[in-house]
Amino acid sequence: MSEISKLAELRKLMLEMERSMGLQDLSAVERDIYYAATELSEARSGVQTTNLLDHTLVVNVSRPTFFRALKSLVCKGYLFQNQASGRGQYIVKPLD
Amino acid sequence: MRLQAWAKETAVVSFAYLATFYMTFELLIPLQDRYFPEFSSHASLLFLPHGVRVLAAWLLGWRSVVALGPGVFLAFFSVAGLGVFTPSRLIAILIAVIVPAATFHAFKLVKWNLSPRSGQMPCWPCIMAAGIAISILSSLLTNFVLGSGPQDYLAYLVGDIIGLFVLMIMLMFFFRVLRRYEA
Repeated sequence: MSEISKLAELRKLMLEMERSMGLQDLSAVERDIYYAATELSEARSGVQTTNLLDHTLVVNVSRPTFFRALKSLVCKGYLFQNQASGRGQYIVKPLD
Repeated sequence: MRLQAWAKETAVVSFAYLATFYMTFELLIPLQDRYFPEFSSHASLLFLPHGVRVLAAWLLGWRSVVALGPGVFLAFFSVAGLGVFTPSRLIAILIAVIVPAATFHAFKLVKWNLSPRSGQMPCWPCIMAAGIAISILSSLLTNFVLGSGPQDYLAYLVGDIIGLFVLMIMLMFFFRVLRRYEA
């Protein structure tokens, strides 16, 4: 494991701790996308970006803001890109 | 190149160990003596270096033995001077650097692999649990070697567990501030 990934693992550990303690700071758009993804993923295993964009919670969010927030949610570990299905499909990580 | 990386991680980990060690002995123990004068043991009830040992062993595995070595030795040396070369203290140093990596390795052998892996969120309560196991083992072995009393054993245990938790909280807030600064 490289130097950077060791630091990344340490940061991931601290993010997990933050989330468990309810200190995770999500913006309103990030929270809406996360909730939309949670709802959509109840029906099927992964959630498509196109379905997320059509969700009532997200429909009024501009595309650049949406993709920025989506990327942020992936970085924070709330969503994972589905490696098997390729780009555009995400898996929701449930809150503890 | 590989040697350079090892030297760098050894410098970082040993510096972190020494920094938390001095913070504990120069700041926290005087505060403990002031506010809990009835507590007779010399052990710190908030021993931050235990957190460095646990996190280093979690991240580096067996390499943490080398990475922690200079820091733990210098910490012992600053307390005991040349007395650091007595067999009991040398064994205590070995316990301090080997037990964390050995504990994570033992967990891996019983199919509880806590090692960091890409695509998987780490489990901080599991790291805390490992830290408690490491503390119990280290306290038992160290107190046996140094011949300390039962009160010291309990104080080491409490200090290690609180020290690990507080260090993780400190790191959590450090990364929070860093994230805001980076944004």
